[in-house]
Amino acid sequence: MQAALQPFHDAHASGQAWRVAYTLSPVPPHDDPGRLYDFYRASNEHQVEGDIRYALKYSQTSKLPPKESGAWTDIFVIYWRAVGEILRAEEASNQGRMNDGQWINVYDAWKEVANAIIKYISNGALPPWTVMCMYSVGNHLRLFAMKADTQLAQVEPSVTFSTGLQDDVVTGVAKNNKLEEAARVFNKMFALCLGDRNPDINESRKWGVYCMANLLFKTYFKLKAISLSKNVVKSIEAQVDLPMFDLYPQSHKITYRYYVGILAFLQEDYANAEQHLTEAWDHCFPESTKNQELILTYLIPCRLITKHNIPSPALLAAFPHLQNIFGPLVTCIKSGDLSGFDNALLASEPEFVKRRIYLTLERGRDIALRNLLRRVFLAAGFEELKEGQAAKDRMRKTRLPIEHFATALRMGTRGEGSGQVLDDDEVECLLANMIYKGLMKGYISRDHGMVVLNKKGAFPGTGV
Amino acid sequence: MPPDSTPPKKVEWTQAVRDYVSRAFDSDNIIEGISKEETQVRAKEIIQYFAERNMQESIDWADYPLPQQLLAEERKRANAAPAVALGYGYANNAHVNSSNGTTNSSSPAPPQSKKRKSQGLDDPQPRPTETSIPPWRKTNLEARITYADGHTEKRHKKSAFTEDTLSKLDQADLEKRKQRFQLGKNGNKSNGSPLPDVDMPTGPVVGLNQSLEKSYFRLTAPPKAETVRPLRVLEKTLGLLTKKWREENNYNYICNQFKSLRQDLTVQHIKNSFTVKVYEIHARIALEKGDLGEYNQCQTQLRALYTQNLGGHPHEFLAYRILYFVYTCNKADMNDLLAELTPTDKANDWIKHALEVRSALALGNYHKFFRLYLEANAKAYMGGYLMDMFVERERLTALANISRSYIAVTIRFLTAELAFEKESDCREFLESHGAQHLIEEMVDASGTHLRVKVKGGASIFESLRSTAFSKVDIKGQI
Repeated sequence: MQAALQPFHDAHASGQAWRVAYTLSPVPPHDDPGRLYDFYRASNEHQVEGDIRYALKYSQTSKLPPKESGAWTDIFVIYWRAVGEILRAEEASNQGRMNDGQWINVYDAWKEVANAIIKYISNGALPPWTVMCMYSVGNHLRLFAMKADTQLAQVEPSVTFSTGLQDDVVTGVAKNNKLEEAARVFNKMFALCLGDRNPDINESRKWGVYCMANLLFKTYFKLKAISLSKNVVKSIEAQVDLPMFDLYPQSHKITYRYYVGILAFLQEDYANAEQHLTEAWDHCFPESTKNQELILTYLIPCRLITKHNIPSPALLAAFPHLQNIFGPLVTCIKSGDLSGFDNALLASEPEFVKRRIYLTLERGRDIALRNLLRRVFLAAGFEELKEGQAAKDRMRKTRLPIEHFATALRMGTRGEGSGQVLDDDEVECLLANMIYKGLMKGYISRDHGMVVLNKKGAFPGTGV
Repeated sequence: MPPDSTPPKKVEWTQAVRDYVSRAFDSDNIIEGISKEETQVRAKEIIQYFAERNMQESIDWADYPLPQQLLAEERKRANAAPAVALGYGYANNAHVNSSNGTTNSSSPAPPQSKKRKSQGLDDPQPRPTETSIPPWRKTNLEARITYADGHTEKRHKKSAFTEDTLSKLDQADLEKRKQRFQLGKNGNKSNGSPLPDVDMPTGPVVGLNQSLEKSYFRLTAPPKAETVRPLRVLEKTLGLLTKKWREENNYNYICNQFKSLRQDLTVQHIKNSFTVKVYEIHARIALEKGDLGEYNQCQTQLRALYTQNLGGHPHEFLAYRILYFVYTCNKADMNDLLAELTPTDKANDWIKHALEVRSALALGNYHKFFRLYLEANAKAYMGGYLMDMFVERERLTALANISRSYIAVTIRFLTAELAFEKESDCREFLESHGAQHLIEEMVDASGTHLRVKVKGGASIFESLRSTAFSKVDIKGQI
């Protein structure tokens, strides 16, 4: 046991929280795949407490204060039991009999580890920097909860029916029980960080606020209880004495920005979303392509709405997956190909819906339409030069028959996919929409069957 | 008949009972995890139970288990196996299974030979309409519902009450409910004696009531078998209700009767195709009457019932759900719903129509939206009722739109674009929204025209539009 806990002593002595957190990981390190097994085999149920207490107390390399030593003893004992469950689950999965609810046991055992850490941090036995260990334990709890829920879903019926005095038959659709439970644990962790009253900011648990918030976001998104994330943001914003946001580690900040950005995005507050997502994008570690891709998944639709921007080919080329799903859309928007746009949207619908960007991307059709109408405008050419007017000052024709736009639209929507026949009133409706949304300046004159465009800036932001 | 024919009596409690109560609250007897309130509630129930049966003298109160012990015991059991009602006289599971069997065999239903025919009436696909008035416009739910008469229960599978009917979660629900009743307790104390105001973990009740009609009361105590109607009575009830609905069209009565019907199904744990049918019919009636609160409750129930593959018309109600989310502007739920749609769903005409409504509105294509609205009416989709809920709002949106992009339009154009029946309706609509000053008469070679100088109304319509969107509030919304 002495040997098994040596990494902990080393980590503790090094003063690096992440190294300590690592010794409480349910996953063995790459260079020592047998660590969990060795640790578990170093003791047994009867002696584990004594073994660990002894090993922690009489170490050659480090001296823990008695109170802290007691806390770690308790945590490691519980951890030792959890490791036992993990090894059993792994063994079972190796033997291909993963239906006995092993992950549920692992989850329950691991939850005890999380609760023990919460207990010792809140009663002050562990120093504030251990919130990083708490985060790490929490993150693993999230993963175990998801595994446990998958297993539970196979055994339990998904719908519960009322047995009490309810008027109606069904009382609830139960799923993700364990993850919901884990979310409550994370909430406790979050509150523990947020509510620290230690005036010395260097000794404060408030440094764990953002990473715990990120853990909650991940959980709520998975639970499809996204709206609960807003409470987290609100309670952080209500805190006046948090350390400066800039002082937090990059990883905490970027993930937090990312989630706050998505929250704004989902509430259709695209300006705010753009700001947060851009921050996240600007600071994202250049080698974290996966994260960059995630940020862009939301930033691209966001820019489409706020600035009517489409991503450059070079940007998309760097992310093959994004190129795959956004590429066709972008091409069609650019060329004003409406049925192409509809088809591209349809083709990637499952992915878009999963990412919750479908309903936003759909609005990109307006930009495609604008581009198409703009081409009609350009094709109409110029008014004849008046006397004494220089060629560079000549005016574009701004009175165009509705029929011209109708023809362009019918060309744009023919072919497979859209399957729609546009009548003249619908063409007018689409033109009216462009004007109403400020993508085109002018008015429709029904009496003359004409669209009268502004002489200057008929299509704002496009140079004409 | 009233649900509770034996009002609690006022009784002088014996010393033994008083001792029992004081023992229950003795600090030595506290069990961890059971609050004082829970103990108190349970103690009341126990005493009430025996008092109602005049048995309080015959009980050995000194040895009777304490309320908290019973609670602890129950919880333990609820986790492992279905809680057996603790001597409270409710059927336990085994009993119910056997009696359910008898109910089925003794039911007078004829063998299902005309299934196709009765199903035909049940078919949600709109039938060709003989008249120009869409059938759902003239409140003829009758045709949809008549099949219910003499419907057999062939498909009714004997409900399997498995061991997990009382899962942990139910226990949690019960506890929550207990707490809720705890709060409302004061209002319940009508005559000085405590009411049994808390539900027990009951097994299903087996109904004995033979009357077809029954008024709805919210249950505050476990139901008594005498007040609950068994399945074969309920089936006749449904027939009677559909008949009454088409004859009398009295929504308050019908809604109340359907609620008691649903309650009777629930307390007997009846979950089969009949249950689905009851909820579907109630949902359609509520939809027709614009009672979205009640509709919503049925919709929620149906959604869960459909997952059990009990039959019914999932596509029809899925289409309603899409329109419902359009109405409530619920983007998050709409997204989740889109994620669940299968290609088969999307091929269904009703769902296709609902999806087109959604996309037309998302793109601001009011022209298409109002075409779809007319189509729903012409094809007798009941989704038209849901569209009625937001058609006014969309008219205002379209007006806001038109007022920015036109200077003036004719009333005739607006009438056609906004799917008004007559020009006078359109004019009335404009006048009732404070736009009468925009209407002017024009005389030209072809006669007199009414024109609307829409441009001047841009700000009016815009503000009306945003108010219309800000007040979507429905009770019973999930």
